[in-house]
Amino acid sequence: MIEIQQLKFCYPRSSFHLHISELEIETASVSAVVGPSGSGKTTLLHLVAGILPIVSGKVLVDGTDLAALSDAERRKFRLQQVGLVFQDFELIDYLSVSDNVLLPCRIGDAVTLDSATRKRAEHLLEQSGLADHLRKPVTNLSQGEKQRVAICRALLTRPAILLADEPTGNLDPATSDQILELMLSSARENDTTVMMVTHDHSLLNRFDRVIDFEQFLTTSEPASCAEEVWE
Amino acid sequence: MNWRHALYLAVRSLTWYRGRAATIVLCLALTLWLPVTVRLLLNQFREDIIARAVATPLIVGARGSRIDLALHGLYFDSVSPDQTTMAEADYIQNTGFATPIPVHVQYRTQSVNHVTGVPIVGTTIEYFEFRQLGVARGLGLSMLGDCVVGCDVAARMQLGPGDCILSAPQNAFNLAGNYPLKMNVVGVLAPSHSPDDNVVFVDIKTAWIIDGIGHGHQALKDAEDGALLEKTDTNVTASAAVLPFTEITADNIDSFHFHGDEDTFPVSAVIAQPSDRKSRTLLLGRYLTERRDFAQCVKPTEVVQDLLNIVFRVERLVWLSSLLSATVTALLLALVLSLSVRLRAVEIRTMHKLGCSRWTIAVLISTEFLMMCAAGIVVAVAGAWLASVVAADGLKSLLF
Repeated sequence: MIEIQQLKFCYPRSSFHLHISELEIETASVSAVVGPSGSGKTTLLHLVAGILPIVSGKVLVDGTDLAALSDAERRKFRLQQVGLVFQDFELIDYLSVSDNVLLPCRIGDAVTLDSATRKRAEHLLEQSGLADHLRKPVTNLSQGEKQRVAICRALLTRPAILLADEPTGNLDPATSDQILELMLSSARENDTTVMMVTHDHSLLNRFDRVIDFEQFLTTSEPASCAEEVWE
Repeated sequence: MNWRHALYLAVRSLTWYRGRAATIVLCLALTLWLPVTVRLLLNQFREDIIARAVATPLIVGARGSRIDLALHGLYFDSVSPDQTTMAEADYIQNTGFATPIPVHVQYRTQSVNHVTGVPIVGTTIEYFEFRQLGVARGLGLSMLGDCVVGCDVAARMQLGPGDCILSAPQNAFNLAGNYPLKMNVVGVLAPSHSPDDNVVFVDIKTAWIIDGIGHGHQALKDAEDGALLEKTDTNVTASAAVLPFTEITADNIDSFHFHGDEDTFPVSAVIAQPSDRKSRTLLLGRYLTERRDFAQCVKPTEVVQDLLNIVFRVERLVWLSSLLSATVTALLLALVLSLSVRLRAVEIRTMHKLGCSRWTIAVLISTEFLMMCAAGIVVAVAGAWLASVVAADGLKSLLF
């Protein structure tokens, strides 16, 4: 379960600030996060993922208070517990399809790269219809295929949470549908909690819950600014 | 972070951005190659030149440039110094301080198979013992007109025992001058990796025949009428109608003779091999006192050392310019790397989002850089080694 209490956040030298008094997301639920641009949807995902530091309030993931974790602990938490899918796929051009999926194992000690992990990567890619593209460079793939690789990368470590930031934003409707189906079915198989930011309201009926960011918009209460944000 | 993973990712990245990586490696390699090559070549050159100089105790020759004399006595293929005479060799022999080995290098062979002629070294049998030169094929010198060729000459000119080679006259328009002598190749020397591999050796008397001091010609009784111009008790004068022999054979060898006193016959240098240190000092003393007006005695090691000092001054210049270019390259590389990191900002941000630490990212980039540096060093050293193998002879030919 993800529990957010009195979460306040703002970026340095920016008028933007986010304030969420209380929000609970059930384990294994599939939630869509909607709201106008600049309302803080992506910021929320980054806070839940531990990419941004929590300076005020609490974010508890299965009882773990992210605010109490050090940088290194948050990175380990991210590698082991969180799967991330981005709008621009954010794949590494110089790696093959399978190497991109195995990337979390190579960039940190939190996940071991063993034969079981390799088999899982192959299995995920097979499920995604990319079994024939394992050794191909990702630059040779279509947009839809790239996003499937990104989803496989996110699911490799069997994360507790899958955070997707407009994963269908750059895709045509048919491909969007396929990608969403892949993501949600894989997540349900593994009881993964999904939070997906989207602007596509036609997809909302596929989610258990819709979190509308209109409710968090505020102009009165200043938030605590993060002192350290990755540039 | 596991270094195996860092290495793997670095290799993937370098392979993907191979154009950029190759350019950086090439820049690094070129920057390192020049000073390393200069150092290797100069070391090799110094070892070669010093080794031969050390193995040659003293060289006696006509007064004049000591460098020309030393290099001529050691390498044959330099500016010919003023000539001295066999009297100098006899003088050394008579002192009892050293064994003289006369060397007369005045002529070259004619070109063979489009290969430029090489120096003809006239010397005595002691030279081969002194330099420890063995015959690999055929026999050693035994009669006038024989020659043994260095192994490189034999390879380049495709010569072997049984072949012939002609000497090249210095001036084709000199009517009173020497004729080309057809020499019989009787042997090929074993490789010595020295200038001896690149010359043709003849007996010193054969060298004098090439020089025109000795000759053989048809008997006057066989010549045309009127060939005998004058005959006294001590002298015979014949006309140009008497044909000289241009080849020494068993049939005509007896007709070959020398005019004049052997003491006055020319030699370009005399290598003196003292029996001990004291004899060496005494011989040097003689040439600084009683023989100083006639000849000079040089210590090849000293001359070569002087020469090397000049070379090392050039080396310092090369080092300085290399240091300058290395600084410029280092600055350019720093710029390229910082631009490269900026270009890869998205990739770096993605890795951070996935859980990669800044340290790990620094390790990844450093691994790539170190691999490029290592490749640059390997290419530079390999190139320098190749240059030292291929260009060593070229460097020597530039210096001599």
